[in-house]
Amino acid sequence: MAREKAIEVTVNGITHRKTVSVRTSLADFLRDHLYLTGTHIGCEHGVCGACTVSVNGKAVRSCLMLAVQADAKQITTIEGLRDENGEWNEMQKAFFENFALQCGYCTPGFLTSAIELLRENPDPSEAEIREYLSGNICRCSGYQAIIDAVQAAAAATRAQRQA
Amino acid sequence: MTGMRISNEKSVGTSVLPDEARPLLDGEARFLNDISFPGMYHVAFLRSQYAHARLRNVDVGKARELPGVIKVLTGADLFGKVDPFRSMPNRFSGGESVQHWLAVEKVRFCGEAICAVVAEDRATAEDAIELIEVDYDPLPVITDAREGEKDGSPLVHDTCPNNYLIRRDYKRGPVDEAFETAHLTVKRSFSIGRKQALCLEGRGCVAAFRKDGFELSVWMSHQLPYVVRHYLAKHLGMAETEIRVVAPQTGGGFGQKASIYPEEFVCTYLARMLRRPVKWVEDRFENMVASTHAREQDIEVELALDKDGRILALRSDVWVDVGAYSTYLWSAGMEPLQTGGLMPGPYKVPAFQYSTRGVATNKTPVGPYRAVGRPSASASLELLLNEAARKLGMDAAEIRMRNMIRQEDMPYRNANNLVHDNVGYMPCLQMALSKASYDALRAEQGKPSPNGKLRGIGVACFAELTGLGTSTAVGPGTLLQPGRDAVTLRLETSGVLTIAAALPSQGQRIATAMRQVAADETGIALEDISCLTNDTGMAPYGFGTFASRTAVFGSGAVIQAATELRRRILALAAFLLDEPEDRLAIVNSVVQTVDRSKTLTLRDMAEHSFFSAKDIPMELNQGFEVTAFYDPKHGSFAAGAHVVVVDVDPDTGAVEIVRYVAAEDVGRLINPAVVEGQIIGGIAQGVGEALLEELIYDEQGQPRTVTLADYLVPSALEVPRIELHHANTPSGALGGFKGCGEGSIIGALGGIACAVSDALAQRGGDIHEFPATPERVLRGLGVDFGDD
Amino acid sequence: MKAPWFEYYAPATLDEALKMLGDADLDGRVLAGGQSLMPMLNLRVADPAMLVDINGIPGLDGIEENADTLSVGALVRHADILNSPAVRARWPLLAEAVTQVAHPAIRNRGTVCGSVAHNDPAAEAPSILATLDGTVIIASAEGRRELPAEEFSQGMLSTALEPGEMVVGLRYRRPPEGTGSGFVEFARRLGDFAIAGAAALLTMRDGVCERARLTILGMGDGPVRACEAEDMLTGKTLANGAAREAFEAAAAAVKAAVDPAEDVHATSGYRRHLTGVMTIRALEKALARAGGGE
Repeated sequence: MAREKAIEVTVNGITHRKTVSVRTSLADFLRDHLYLTGTHIGCEHGVCGACTVSVNGKAVRSCLMLAVQADAKQITTIEGLRDENGEWNEMQKAFFENFALQCGYCTPGFLTSAIELLRENPDPSEAEIREYLSGNICRCSGYQAIIDAVQAAAAATRAQRQA
Repeated sequence: MTGMRISNEKSVGTSVLPDEARPLLDGEARFLNDISFPGMYHVAFLRSQYAHARLRNVDVGKARELPGVIKVLTGADLFGKVDPFRSMPNRFSGGESVQHWLAVEKVRFCGEAICAVVAEDRATAEDAIELIEVDYDPLPVITDAREGEKDGSPLVHDTCPNNYLIRRDYKRGPVDEAFETAHLTVKRSFSIGRKQALCLEGRGCVAAFRKDGFELSVWMSHQLPYVVRHYLAKHLGMAETEIRVVAPQTGGGFGQKASIYPEEFVCTYLARMLRRPVKWVEDRFENMVASTHAREQDIEVELALDKDGRILALRSDVWVDVGAYSTYLWSAGMEPLQTGGLMPGPYKVPAFQYSTRGVATNKTPVGPYRAVGRPSASASLELLLNEAARKLGMDAAEIRMRNMIRQEDMPYRNANNLVHDNVGYMPCLQMALSKASYDALRAEQGKPSPNGKLRGIGVACFAELTGLGTSTAVGPGTLLQPGRDAVTLRLETSGVLTIAAALPSQGQRIATAMRQVAADETGIALEDISCLTNDTGMAPYGFGTFASRTAVFGSGAVIQAATELRRRILALAAFLLDEPEDRLAIVNSVVQTVDRSKTLTLRDMAEHSFFSAKDIPMELNQGFEVTAFYDPKHGSFAAGAHVVVVDVDPDTGAVEIVRYVAAEDVGRLINPAVVEGQIIGGIAQGVGEALLEELIYDEQGQPRTVTLADYLVPSALEVPRIELHHANTPSGALGGFKGCGEGSIIGALGGIACAVSDALAQRGGDIHEFPATPERVLRGLGVDFGDD
Repeated sequence: MKAPWFEYYAPATLDEALKMLGDADLDGRVLAGGQSLMPMLNLRVADPAMLVDINGIPGLDGIEENADTLSVGALVRHADILNSPAVRARWPLLAEAVTQVAHPAIRNRGTVCGSVAHNDPAAEAPSILATLDGTVIIASAEGRRELPAEEFSQGMLSTALEPGEMVVGLRYRRPPEGTGSGFVEFARRLGDFAIAGAAALLTMRDGVCERARLTILGMGDGPVRACEAEDMLTGKTLANGAAREAFEAAAAAVKAAVDPAEDVHATSGYRRHLTGVMTIRALEKALARAGGGE
């Protein structure tokens, strides 16, 4: 009758050992147990995309995964996006320079999804970006600046690779 | 003006990158739910499952016994201890309606809070909620405004006959004569569904009570921290000075976070009672049923026109289903009064009449939301103008031009008693038409479609009153009459500038905008200026952020305070540099002579004046902290014209926006990229309003759209790329600024509605109910679904 | 909202999992991708006593292609289907349908078997399985059985799974040579549950339809095989412009046969109308891909 379970989770390169209630979502675990409050909760039923984080290199809704399921997994949250030199990655930079966020509540999910998109498709068209990001809701921007930012990040990343 | 202005590189008008966005990109920004204290308790609310019922009994015994539960609070526990929310009756409304923080005796909508449970964690509080047994005695339910106003309908509040929370009849000019003698009269109905702001972050609060410093500290996801402070003091019987209200990073507001709600006030009560910090964060289900809704209107609108298509008179009837309570502070008058009164928009209306009603129903209360009342007012008139144009054999753009208030008419007082000045309606329309190649679009529309779709073109023009000063009434029955805000500019001991104002941002980059204005007005370098906007413990009094006002008020106050601050700086610098003031200027945080032969950094000057002031005459060292209030007295009209092209699939009813051109007049731009974000974001919400978003209730008043799978907000696929153009006319306010946060949603509903209607007209169809769901579109084409 | 209490187990083997599920006292429920179950838990509309998390069980994530069939295991995610070169090359109906399943982050986690076991009438996976004459492989502590898709689906969110059983795999049957496929659905937004949709297979020879498969989704009772329409199409000449009339007749038969439910997105009548439109569009796609029937 175990209502709690010990888990070992690596988040942004740091391995944490914690005991959690089995009903705690990964989103709540990241926020309340690891104090990584950059992951935002917008609906808790998997539609808005704000809580999207990367688990073993794949974007997932952290509200639809239990913390206990993250045992032995590698997780990246928005707090872990800066590179080894402490610099913003291209997507963060592009979001900033393109005014791609207003209230910023949806931003962590968009960054995670957009980074995964560019991993799968380094040169997406506007239509492809819109389709890929259609599972993330932004209520402020009208999406246009986000699309522009993803295209800018894609161009910057391609330029870097060629250099 | 004291001292010479050597022109800095102007900051206003450039898209300065917003430093305030950086923490959001690192996940370090602190939203309400990110604030925690050791020993903090968590609150959850038991909410009514009935739309209308008498509470026979509320048994909280089992909930209290659950381990981890600290306290269960009922309406009876609060009764007599706190002052409930009371509407302000006036000559336009029924009697007083009362909203208890936790329901007493009756519940009036599904989702109304009945009990608050305090527990060690949120999940436990929710476990306890399931253990509370409520014995409901169901009462007859009202879910429709036009039913509700009938004599003999069940009453939501016994004090409000015909369920009127508000009713107003207005008439000005020879309306009846115009309709009798007109060359053409046209009439149509229009309805818009119920929607909500859907901030991605819900409401919430952390309340902490401690007899040290501020006794009550409240962090609240809110747009009006000072107003909250005032009403907390009033309702809790505390002194305002004992309370500090902070609005942390806020995940969207759009008006939904501008009202006062029971839940946060219950939390402050609990914090004081338990002497522990408590937190409540609204979840999405609660947000769907317990945060204010918007719209839900039925409109009947009529025009009388002469043979040239000129409006002679406008007459309308408006019914708004305002839900169960008069939203606290703003009243139930928000939508009804603004829809009725602002319908003329940018058009010359010589005679004007409306009857408008806010009818109480057993649904979630309707409160302020982006462009309150105006989208439906505008869309219904725009659709009717198209109908008139068709009957007159006139183009849709032409009839608008013939009726538009033009520059040469200004100042122009319209029949709704509003004065239009410093606003470019025609330039917006002309720019939108020309950028869209309107004539070519019409020519192309006439050709057969290659894909079987019906093409529609919509043109919509709007007027949007922004930055309302004290002379402009918000509406009868509203407990607030906003119109002045203060800003403090403080030169710190190191020579950097702090701007403090109670104008919180929900993403509008208010801090950046005010820094830009302050940089230009003081000569202090942008990077030496910081801005606090959200804390009643630190900022001077301000109403807050709503009604497209913040840029106007904040900037106006900054300009006024900066004038005085600069005077003080230059007076002291003149003494220290031994130069006449009029040879000095502040450039990039340095006071310098025109020929730059002498310079004094603000850092040196500030340190000198604060730390070694004995050689400075007292009258030159009055401190470098200046607070200025700004009241623009009147509002400033902003304007816009949108041209929308849609393709309608006649088989499925799906509407696709294939082109969207907008031209806007939002006055002088402070930060163009930020302004564009506001406008495009408003259009996106308008796409939702026109095509997708609708809160649906069944006949028993049960909400059927309580998840984001049922309530559909636009994604990146439904919002088209917006081609945005500026046709700006400076306002009469200080700095020439106007508000820009709301207007575009008005044009979006009107433009999309007109485009869909135009598409259906090709097959003799039309549409009167919005959002234009695929099903409504097909019904508008006369498709017969047979069995229903 | 936060999930209610449950017991949680993550067995390391399938036998262990089946044993737990077979213990009636435990009232266990399988947790695979969780993309339907977790929202129901968070909304407190599901309240299982125990979750048996199968994500750690090896051997359930295989996609295997044989001459006649394609088999997918219980832990195959929608994204795995999309990323499978075999599926993309040779199972176009499946690949096409999965692109309409929710959004990338959901597809990364949600499983095809889970979607079939959940049997939401608007979901893509159950209707594709029915169209491809698929079967559901069911295991319990007592043994295994394999049920045709039509027998597995028992109506809205309801299946032939008995207590103690779980879906361990699906088997799709390869359509004959000369088959073209088409999947279309109509949702308010891409990724939303379909209001109505259709999956079609047409096997063509010399302009004549030799075999037709047509399944409708979005109806109240789970995937609906449109047998009458299939019979009407079989043996019909679809070449030289004859298709339109045949498809319209098929659509009329479909509309007469379905009994759509009403919800916030559509009335029953509109949904019925859409099944006709979707039927024609799916058949047109299938015909074009079968080489136009020429």
